[in-house]
Amino acid sequence: MAILEVNELKKSFGKNEVLKGISLSLDEGQVLSIIGSSGSGKTTLLRCINFLETADSGTIYVDGDVIFDGNDMTKHKAKETREKQLKIGLVFQQFNLFPQYNVFDNVTLAVKLKAKERPDYKADKKQIIKEINENAVKILTDMGLYDKINSYPWQLSGGQQQRVAIARALALEPKILFFDEPTSALDPELTIEVLKVIKELRNMGRTMVVVTHEMEFARNVSDKVIFMADGIIEEAGTPSEVFDSPKSEKTRAFLAKSFE
Amino acid sequence: MFWTVTESLLEGFMTTLELFCLTLLFAIPLGLIISFGSMSKIFPIKWLSKTVVWIIRGTPLMLQLIVVFYGPELIGSAIGELGIDNPLFNALAEMKGLERFPSVLVAFVINYACYFSEIYRGGIESIPKGQYEACQVLGMTKSQTFFKVVLLQVIKRIVPPMGNEIITLVKDTSLARTIAVYEIIWNAQKFIKNGGLLWPLIYAGAFYLIFNGLLTVIFSRIEKKMDYFKA
Amino acid sequence: MKKTLSVILAALLALGCVLMFASCGGNTEETTAPADDTTAAEDTTAAQSDLAYILDKGTLVVGVTEYKPMDYLDENNEWTGFDAEYARAVAKELGVEVEFIEIEWDNKEFEVKSKKIDCVWNGMTITDALKESMDITDPYVKNAQVVVMPKDKAADYTTVESIKDLSFAVEVESAGKGVAEENGFNYTELTYQSDAILEVHTGKADACIIDLTMADALTAEGSTYENLTKVLSLNEEEYGIGCRKGSDLCTKINEITDKLIADGTLDALAQKYELTLVK
Repeated sequence: MAILEVNELKKSFGKNEVLKGISLSLDEGQVLSIIGSSGSGKTTLLRCINFLETADSGTIYVDGDVIFDGNDMTKHKAKETREKQLKIGLVFQQFNLFPQYNVFDNVTLAVKLKAKERPDYKADKKQIIKEINENAVKILTDMGLYDKINSYPWQLSGGQQQRVAIARALALEPKILFFDEPTSALDPELTIEVLKVIKELRNMGRTMVVVTHEMEFARNVSDKVIFMADGIIEEAGTPSEVFDSPKSEKTRAFLAKSFE
Repeated sequence: MFWTVTESLLEGFMTTLELFCLTLLFAIPLGLIISFGSMSKIFPIKWLSKTVVWIIRGTPLMLQLIVVFYGPELIGSAIGELGIDNPLFNALAEMKGLERFPSVLVAFVINYACYFSEIYRGGIESIPKGQYEACQVLGMTKSQTFFKVVLLQVIKRIVPPMGNEIITLVKDTSLARTIAVYEIIWNAQKFIKNGGLLWPLIYAGAFYLIFNGLLTVIFSRIEKKMDYFKA
Repeated sequence: MKKTLSVILAALLALGCVLMFASCGGNTEETTAPADDTTAAEDTTAAQSDLAYILDKGTLVVGVTEYKPMDYLDENNEWTGFDAEYARAVAKELGVEVEFIEIEWDNKEFEVKSKKIDCVWNGMTITDALKESMDITDPYVKNAQVVVMPKDKAADYTTVESIKDLSFAVEVESAGKGVAEENGFNYTELTYQSDAILEVHTGKADACIIDLTMADALTAEGSTYENLTKVLSLNEEEYGIGCRKGSDLCTKINEITDKLIADGTLDALAQKYELTLVK
């Protein structure tokens, strides 16, 4: 069964229909890249799945659970939404780290707040905090940020900040990790270090959805590629299908421009 | 003579200080409530808050003092002169305002809460949307978002303008004498009225200067304390 | 959370409005409808007269400022002076306590009308403008508006004609201002008479026009203004006590004053403070 399933998702801002019925599915352990020019709706799609926007119709399932159902627009309790939210993680283009916390606290803040809701929290507080801290150190070490644990965001390069943001998302152990153009705000040399991290995560079997402009990366890392244009999926398939033998004229034009 | 003057000025300064401290104590939280009102999505609340802020910031504090202190009785007697005999009108005709010091306090608290609310609003609205979105995707509640992430960043941004406003408050307390609350300037002016002594007024200025110097030091300490992060 | 706070806000704002516009005393047993002359005449049964209101609360609240020799604080911080003693004598006749409140002179009309005080008893020169906002008793002490200037220049200015080109400082809306206006002088208005004399002292104005009683007190030997002197008297005038419009307190004070003149009490006070009575 697919871990992510999106059916006929539609979204308009005013009169402007940004998503005109998007359907896709993704299996556990797969990496999906979404490419397309700006304004094609790829970021909106990501934001709809991550509750940052509410779609107008369609359905979204994650790991068998309904995340969004356009036929049932009754308001859900904030707590329920949060539970669902925690199944997925999102890494932003602009990192959005918390400036007043150091790297370690950025990574552990949300996890610790969430842990307070556990029924055994009061009894096993020390043990729970210890596990969270150890886990955070492990993730940060994997990210090559061990020596930056006590640094504040402003003291880090863009690439390091983005790696902290990835660590922060991972600490909550999401089923799927989403990336919204994770390297667009970075210089080329810093882009490489972030893409390397994403590649490593793939090798560890992480399920990921990456909205990206990096065509080489999409081709090398993805199991699936989707090309979006004008709010629809223009072309979908394996990297070699999309990149080497695109069926659509629009895809060919976009790729030609991208590899110029 | 010097000691008589010092004693009198100190006595006045205690009133000044009391007014200053109590104004801050009430205006700081009330300002936050008004700022949430101004940012509310519920239109009547937003409209009411903005109107109140507009009126209070758009009129002189001295006028507000007079309205708070004399207003209730003056309105009451105007209603009484209408000569309408029904329980509501009779009750309105008899309404009484507060005593002098409480009146000054009410006027100052409302006035400064409105100024503070605009500073808070500016601070809160200047926090990038990305901070809220990051909290949301990390599964934080709205109150966790505000208290754990947004608040400190807001505080860092509003400390300098709040410092300015609070120093202005110290000097504005001298307006209390408009409705005969005997603060330090009132006491200093007495020496002019009675014996033509001018220096007590200058001397009173020294009290303000020293107190504001102290506040300036405190605020720069706070600013320094928050230098460890950039937002 | 914003929503909850919004609700709290609405409640607080509503409370604020109530505080500003509704009753804070809530003393219903004491019916103190304003004793306006029209309502008092038409509606004598329901409305209480102003005098009855004062007798009822047992205290006559007198608005004063520090103004030698009319009202000032003695070494024990008690109010004394001609007016203070006069007010005490009247209160005694009324059978009530007297309470002095030092007010901001600019707001005397507000203070009286809003019942924060019952009367202004502070060497107040009777003017037509004041008669509009208050009922004023019969005049009791004579005063004059005098021109005060530096002693070293005084010799050149002995007639009204000689001073007409000088710059003057006067108290805002005071009798002195009225005189300056009548004579077509060039003047600046200040909050207090003491500010007016300060202008002369510091050379901002050539001369000021203030009350005779005030001028005598301020330019006495040993004060900061001993370098100033009064050069001429412009206008004879009289002091009165300001009561609420339509108040029967005013006539009552007149009655008691007649009695105090008859028994010599006021004469004795006038001698003590070197003032001239009207009657």
